Amino acid sequence: MDPDAVSKAFVEHYYSTFDANRSGLANLYQEGSMLTFEGQKIMGSQNIVAKLTSLPFQQCKHQITTVDCQPSGPAGGMLVFVSGNLQLAGEQHALKFSQMFHLMPTPQGSFYVFNDIFRLNYA
Amino acid sequence: MDPDAVAKAFVEHYYSTFDANRAGIANLYQEGSMLTFEGQKIMGSQNIVAKLTSLPFQQCQHHITTVDCQPSGPAGGMLVFVSGNLQLAGEQHALKFSQMFHLMPTPQGSFYVFNDIFRLNYA
Repeated sequence: MDPDAVSKAFVEHYYSTFDANRSGLANLYQEGSMLTFEGQKIMGSQNIVAKLTSLPFQQCKHQITTVDCQPSGPAGGMLVFVSGNLQLAGEQHALKFSQMFHLMPTPQGSFYVFNDIFRLNYA
Repeated sequence: MDPDAVAKAFVEHYYSTFDANRAGIANLYQEGSMLTFEGQKIMGSQNIVAKLTSLPFQQCQHHITTVDCQPSGPAGGMLVFVSGNLQLAGEQHALKFSQMFHLMPTPQGSFYVFNDIFRLNYA
């Protein structure tokens, strides 16, 4: 399958899950997964989901502006670089963000997030 | 060596080379390296350096705001996620950018850029 199509599909799935059912993200990480969220380092699916579900907002909507991807090496991994806007319920202005995923293949033929780095882009 | 220190050192070396002697960047890529620059995909050190040295400005200065890094897997690679400002000579306002590097180790004990994705962050 076309890598660009795979990464676009993954990104859409990731953010729609995040926006509709944040704890559902648990399936997209594994025990060795790493997240760096605004400089804070978190390891493992449980801790990552705990962090994301405890962020100080109830509802949010990610709007994706750009998605770039490249294969990461012989292990079949894929790097995905996203930029977009994050609209929090009740806030007048959306936040801008950039996020990088390193996806690794699962035996079932899909991908999980091995590396995840998130940064807000301040004006 | 501490991965954060290695990532910081690499980033400083990369951008100071870019800003002082852009053609010197060639040593930091190899034949299989990939760059996606504002959505344009380029492969191989020669083509990458050709692209970077042909950008429409003579002088620039990168100012780095954040550097995040994570190990990318068993091959010893390192993911580095940078955000910062890019000041072009003669321009009043700096451009904001985000950039992602996937560094792979060399036999000599240093790193080269295997994956590189660059995006400007528009207001």
